[in-house]
Amino acid sequence: MTKEIGINQLKRRDFLKAGLVFGAGAAGLAAGYAAVPDAFARAVYAAKKNGAANDNVLVMIQLAGGNDGLRTLVPLGDPKLHDLRPKLAGPMVSQALPLNADFGLNHHLGGIKGLWDKGKVAIVQGVGYPNPTFSHFESIRIWETGDPTRRQVDGWLGRTLAKAYDSNGHPLTGCACGATDVPGALRDLQATMTVIQNQKTFGFTGGSEVEAAVGALYKGTPGIYGALFDTAIATANDTIATLRTSSTSYQPMADYTDKVKLVYSSKNQLAAALQLAAELIVTGTGVKLLHVTLGGFDTHYTELNRHDDLMGYLDSAVSAFYQDLASHGKADKVLIATWSEFGRRPKENASGGTDHGAAAPLLLIGDPVKSGLFGAEPSLTNLDSTGNLQYAVDFRSVYQEILGGHLGADANEILGGSYDRVQFLKAPVAV
Amino acid sequence: MALAPLPEPITEVAPPSRKGITRRQALAAAVATGVGVGAVRLLGGAMQNITRSKTSSGIDWVSPLSREAAQIMQLLRRTSFGYTPAQLEAALSDGYGKTVDRLLETKPVEPPVLAAASTPGGRFGVAELQQWWIDHMLTTTTPFAERMTLFWHGHFTSDYRKTGNNTFMYWQNLTWRRMALTNLRPMLLEVTTDPAMLRYLDLATSTGQSPNENYSRELMELFTMGAGNYTEEDVRQSARALAGWQEPPADMIATVTVDKVKMVTQKLPVYSNQRPGVFNQRRAYKGTVTYLGRTGTLDTQGVIDRILAQNATATLIATKVAQHFVTSQPLPAYVARLGDAFRKSQYDIKTLMRAVFTSPEFTADASYRSLLKSPIEFMVHGARALGATNLTKVVAASGSGMGQSLFDPPDVNGWPSNAAWISSNTVVERVNFVTRALAQVKGSLPSATDASRSHLDGVLSPQTAKLLNQAPDERTRWFVTLASPEFQLK
Repeated sequence: MTKEIGINQLKRRDFLKAGLVFGAGAAGLAAGYAAVPDAFARAVYAAKKNGAANDNVLVMIQLAGGNDGLRTLVPLGDPKLHDLRPKLAGPMVSQALPLNADFGLNHHLGGIKGLWDKGKVAIVQGVGYPNPTFSHFESIRIWETGDPTRRQVDGWLGRTLAKAYDSNGHPLTGCACGATDVPGALRDLQATMTVIQNQKTFGFTGGSEVEAAVGALYKGTPGIYGALFDTAIATANDTIATLRTSSTSYQPMADYTDKVKLVYSSKNQLAAALQLAAELIVTGTGVKLLHVTLGGFDTHYTELNRHDDLMGYLDSAVSAFYQDLASHGKADKVLIATWSEFGRRPKENASGGTDHGAAAPLLLIGDPVKSGLFGAEPSLTNLDSTGNLQYAVDFRSVYQEILGGHLGADANEILGGSYDRVQFLKAPVAV
Repeated sequence: MALAPLPEPITEVAPPSRKGITRRQALAAAVATGVGVGAVRLLGGAMQNITRSKTSSGIDWVSPLSREAAQIMQLLRRTSFGYTPAQLEAALSDGYGKTVDRLLETKPVEPPVLAAASTPGGRFGVAELQQWWIDHMLTTTTPFAERMTLFWHGHFTSDYRKTGNNTFMYWQNLTWRRMALTNLRPMLLEVTTDPAMLRYLDLATSTGQSPNENYSRELMELFTMGAGNYTEEDVRQSARALAGWQEPPADMIATVTVDKVKMVTQKLPVYSNQRPGVFNQRRAYKGTVTYLGRTGTLDTQGVIDRILAQNATATLIATKVAQHFVTSQPLPAYVARLGDAFRKSQYDIKTLMRAVFTSPEFTADASYRSLLKSPIEFMVHGARALGATNLTKVVAASGSGMGQSLFDPPDVNGWPSNAAWISSNTVVERVNFVTRALAQVKGSLPSATDASRSHLDGVLSPQTAKLLNQAPDERTRWFVTLASPEFQLK
C-alpha cells in the first residue's frame, strides 16, 4: 500500500530489540498482573496483512453531554409530548421543519434539512442499548468501546484503525481534530493516533532545530510512559511534516465562521475542527477515521435557548463541511455520523431542562447515505421504569453498517460479534 | 536488547550524609545513584521484579529511592511546585518524617484579595482569575496548599463557562483552599452549598416538586461513592432531599451597561463578602424519601451522612488521592488500607494524606517516576526552577493546548491524569512552553547543571544525558532539562 514512513519505521526498528520486553509483558499477564502500556511490544501485532482497501472516510461527531433526541427529531403529532414538556414542547413542535406528517427536524437544523431534501441524510431512530446507564462517563465508555459489558478498554475506532489500517504505519490515518487528548473511541495502544487541537498553531516553536532536538531527546525513553512519549513525539513530527506540505494546497470553499457565537460551549470549536478535517481529506493525507466533539448538550437547565444554539452551531458547521467537501469533489467518499452518550428524559424538570435519558436518534449525513428514517419511533406512552424512551436499535447495528458497509472493514472482528445491519447506505461495500 | 552507550558522568558523586549537610553536599547526594553507574537499567536482568515491571521501551529508570534524600525530593516534587535550593536544603536537614509534618501542619498562606471579585455579577475575565491563582502558585511559601487546592478543584470541579459568575469561581477557590486539609464531612456541605457549584450542577434551580437530578447524581457518582454503588432510584430520591438551595442574596444590585452601542443595561448582583447558598424551605421536598436503604425525612446533612456511611466513599477518595500522589494504578489492598485510615479518622483529610506520604508504597522503587505532572504542575514547576517571576501570563495562556486551563475543566469529571496527558498535541505544547518561557527570562539563568541534579535527581536517560553534554550553553541545557521526559514526571 503506501510507503512506510516515520513512526512505522521507528516501531519496526524497536521491535527487533523488543523481544525481551514482550516476554516480560506476557509473563506479567500470566502471573496475573495488570498489563502495562506496551505500545511498541503490542504493535508487533499491528502489522496487518489485509486491511481495508477503499478510500472511504468516516467523520464521527460527538455531541457530548447527552443530546436531546426529542428536540433533534421532533415527534410532531404526539399530544403526550406536551404533557411531558409543558414548557419545552410548544415552540419545538410549532417551529420544527417537517420531514413527513409525523416528524420534523429542530428548526435550527435548516442546512441539514436542505441536505435531507437532496437525499443526503439518514436518521436512525431509537438508538440505544439494553439496561442503559445514566452516568455520562459510563455511557460514553460504552459507546466508545462498543461494549455495554464494560470489559473492552480500546475504542471501536481505535480497534478499526489497528485491525484494518495500521499496517500503513501512517500517523494521520486516524485523527482527533480540535482536541488535546485522544478520544476514547479512537484509543488503542496498537494504533498510532494524531491529535491536533488547532492546525494553525500545531508545530514546534523554533522550527526544525527544535523538532530535531526533541526527536533526539525522546528516543528509547525509559519507564512506563516511555513508549507513549516517544510515539507521541514521533507522531507529532510526522504529522507536522505532512501538514507542512498539505497546507499550501488547501483553500476552504465554504464559510466556517461561528455565527451562533456559542459562549457556553465555545471550548469546542466544531467548525474549526471540521475545517481541519476537510483539509486532511482534501489534501490526500490518507486520513480514514476522524473524530470531532461538540460539548454542552447536558441541558439540565434553560434548555430552550441553549439546545437551539447548539443545534444551530452543529447545523452551520456540518453544512459548511459538506459544502467544502462537495466543492473539492470529495463528498462521495465521506460519511458523517453523530453520536451522543444518551438522549434526555422525556419529562422536563423544574429548571426548564431535562435530565439524563436513554434512546435517541443518530444522524448520518453525506453522499453515501440512503435518505430516510430508519429504526423505529420510540413511544412516549410506553416508557421504561425510569421514565425513559425504550431503544429499538442497538448502537452496534449502526457501527456494523458503518464498518462493513462504508469502510469495508471486518465489522464482526472489530465488534466481537455480528449485529443486524441498519441499511442506511446507498451502495454498501461487499465484505 | 541493545542499550545506548552509557552516558558520560555529568557530575561527581559525593558520599551520602543524613543530617546537617551543606547545600552542596545535599545536591550532590541527590545524584548518588544514576548517572555514575548508568542512569537506566535493563529490565531483562530484573525479571524477578516483574511485579514492578513498568517498562515499554524495555528499560526502566534506576530508582534512587533507597536514599532518604531522593525520597525527600520525590515528596517535594509531588507536594509542591519544585523547590529552591534553600528549601531543599532545609528539607534534607529536617529528614523525611519532619518534612511530612511540616507539609501537613503549616498553615496555608492565603492568596491576596482579588479586587476584580467585587465586579457586579462577577463579570470579569477568566484570564484575570487564572493569573491571580498562577501568580500565587509561583510565589507562595506554602505550595502544598496550592497542590491540594488544585486536587480538589479537579475533584469537586466547576467551570467558569456554565457558572457564568467569576466571583463565585473565586470564592470556590478560596473555600477549597481553606477546607483542603480539614474534614470531608463539613467539606461536602460546603461543596453542596457553594454558589458556583449551585449553578454548575443546577441545584440552585431544583425544587422538591420537580427536582433536577444533576447535582444529586454527580455528588454520588463523581464526588463520593462512584458508579455502581447506588441505584437510579437513589439519584431521584436524593434529588428531592437536596432541593431548596438557592444562590445567596446580593448586598445590592448594580445597573451595568453591558452593550454600549445598543445601550443595553443589566441589573447585576454585588456582594461585599463571600457567603454560601441559602436554603428556601418553600422549594424543599416535604415528604419522606427512601435513600440508600433507609426511609424517613432527610435534609442535606442527612444525605451527606448517608453517603459517608457507605464504605465506597472513602474508597473512591483514597483511590483518587493515590492516583494523584503515589501511582497511576494503586493496588486494591493499598487503597483499602488508605480508605480504612480515612474512615477510622471520621474523614480527616490530614490523616489520609499522612497515611499516603508515610506509606511504604509512596517511597517504593515502583513508584519512582510513575506519575505524570499535570500541565499546571509542569509549567509552575518549570517557572519556579528558572527563578522567573514574569511568567504568569505565559503559564496562564499555555495550558489550553496541553489540556488544562484553570477554572475550565473538560467536564464534570475534572481533569484526567497520568497517561491521558500524553498526545501528539500536548507533547508539542509542553515543549513550546519551555521555548516561550526561556524566551521570557532575561538575564542570567540559574545553573542548569544543578537543575539536572536537584530537579531530575541526576537520573537521566542516555538521550537526555547526551543532549545535556552536547549543549553549547546554559540556555540550551535548560531547554533540554525542562523539555526532557524526566521533567514531565514526578
